[in-house]
Amino acid sequence: MTNKLIDEIRDALDSRLVTSDELFDESVSKAYKYQDKFNCFVTILDKKKEKKGNTVLQGIPYALKDNISTKGILTTASSNILKDYIPLYDATVYKKLMEAGAVLMGKTVLDELAMGGTGTTGHTGVVRNPWNEKRMIGGSSAGSAAAVALGIVPFALGSDTGDSIRKPAAYGGVVGYKPTYGRISRYGLFAFASSLDHMGLFARSVKDVSYVMDIIKGHDDRDMTSLPDEDISYVDNLDNDVKGKKLFYIKEAVEIDNDSEELKLILDNFYKAIDECKSLGMEVVEVSFRKDLLEAIYPSYMCISCAEATSNNSNLTGIPFGYRVEGNNVNEIMMKTRTEGFSELIKRRFVLGSYVLQKENQEKLFLNACRIRRLIVDNMNELFKEYDALIMPSAGDIAPLFGNVSDKLSDEYLILGNHLAIGNFGGFPSISIPSGFVNDMPVSVNITGRAKEDYLVLNMASKLEEALGFKGQVKVDE
Amino acid sequence: MTRDRLEILAKKLMFEMNDLEYETLEREFEIILKQMDLIDGIKDIDNVVPMTYPFDLELDDSYLRDDISNNEICFDDMKINVKDYENEKIKVPKVVG
Repeated sequence: MTNKLIDEIRDALDSRLVTSDELFDESVSKAYKYQDKFNCFVTILDKKKEKKGNTVLQGIPYALKDNISTKGILTTASSNILKDYIPLYDATVYKKLMEAGAVLMGKTVLDELAMGGTGTTGHTGVVRNPWNEKRMIGGSSAGSAAAVALGIVPFALGSDTGDSIRKPAAYGGVVGYKPTYGRISRYGLFAFASSLDHMGLFARSVKDVSYVMDIIKGHDDRDMTSLPDEDISYVDNLDNDVKGKKLFYIKEAVEIDNDSEELKLILDNFYKAIDECKSLGMEVVEVSFRKDLLEAIYPSYMCISCAEATSNNSNLTGIPFGYRVEGNNVNEIMMKTRTEGFSELIKRRFVLGSYVLQKENQEKLFLNACRIRRLIVDNMNELFKEYDALIMPSAGDIAPLFGNVSDKLSDEYLILGNHLAIGNFGGFPSISIPSGFVNDMPVSVNITGRAKEDYLVLNMASKLEEALGFKGQVKVDE
Repeated sequence: MTRDRLEILAKKLMFEMNDLEYETLEREFEIILKQMDLIDGIKDIDNVVPMTYPFDLELDDSYLRDDISNNEICFDDMKINVKDYENEKIKVPKVVG
């Protein structure tokens, strides 16, 4: 039952075909069953009595990425430096879901401190792709994506700083949504890069995403970047007519000088999705975008995110809380704790962040990266005056084989592999939905819309999802 | 990028790296500096205001709340994450000289 859509689970609960205890047991038993093979979870929980929430999520189990604070429940960010950390407070999203009656069943594995895109760098090991265990699911929200794809839970929360929800959703054949910046409170989310960090979620349909969004969105006094409340239900707007909506895709991103058969198949799949949009009455147009800006997305993202991460994680010292290696003085304690507590990848990213923040590099690298960010966002906002959304393939590849991609930087550059960060630069709502298969692995299209128009992005995605026919997709259907 | 320079940056960040980690980092820096040339290659951006947040934040008065304690943490919760404590006070290594 946990592999069904929320409406089906709700009906089963309301008609007493199943109890929430049975659902929880099913979810936990699947989590244990798949743990050795796929490694979705850092922690699998024992049931706590759910609150009476009187919402559609009452009694339904779900999972949280392990960088979301849960009072009294181990929260590690998949890093050795927080391997024993038990938070003193609840993240706002956790509180809201608790009050809605949803039942937390586990905390999922991520790339260490959410700084990675492979799902291979968590301190408890590699997360594997449910569709092919020789392939990665991508990251950083790897465990949440895999848990939804495997039908362990109907939805799971994640965080997205560059593409950390939407890319693993694409590789895992599920829906991944990153709303407008500030739409969901980040209170209780361990910060990676605060100006790019978004909370979001995975589910198996756009409607399920909308059900959860209607509960977790909203202003929060504890997050000064959270947006004011909006008086709109996303679920209620899913069936609006999309006829006449105008979409665009970026010419320079799909014009590939590359003879990869796989890429050709991905683009064929994308053009079929465009045909479906047109059959729904939407207009889809190819537009040109400055290629030099598109090529600068990844280095700009690296400059900004690593610089912010270096600063945000400077509190992990071993002094006030968390893992500590003893030493003769405070410097020795910090040095030993951070040397042992961080993996090699994290150290490399921090050195890069520190480098771009050095006085002599600030103007040329960090501030210019922030200027390029503005140019990209301004260009997008200009296009959004004419068009309702950007539609693109979510990725330029299928889930990579382990060993073929690593977190070491590569000089190969593909705009299609990095364009999702535009959504983080501008805080635009952005959703990836399954669109089919290439070489037996799921592929996906992404829709990104105007900031603060989440309902419209979800509306268009829902209509396209119905047309594409992959709603409710799950790998292991029992 | 020299090894000495990288070691200075790592020391500032309060961690050590081994020889193998530095070798990877040196190779990575060669690539990232090449990619960062793409940033440098975009001309006439001096007058562009650096973007530090996705859009102008709609801040109301709530982010400057009155200075009233509204979220107290009880000691029993707090002590779970500390190495040592005494009489409801957390003991930390001596930080100030």
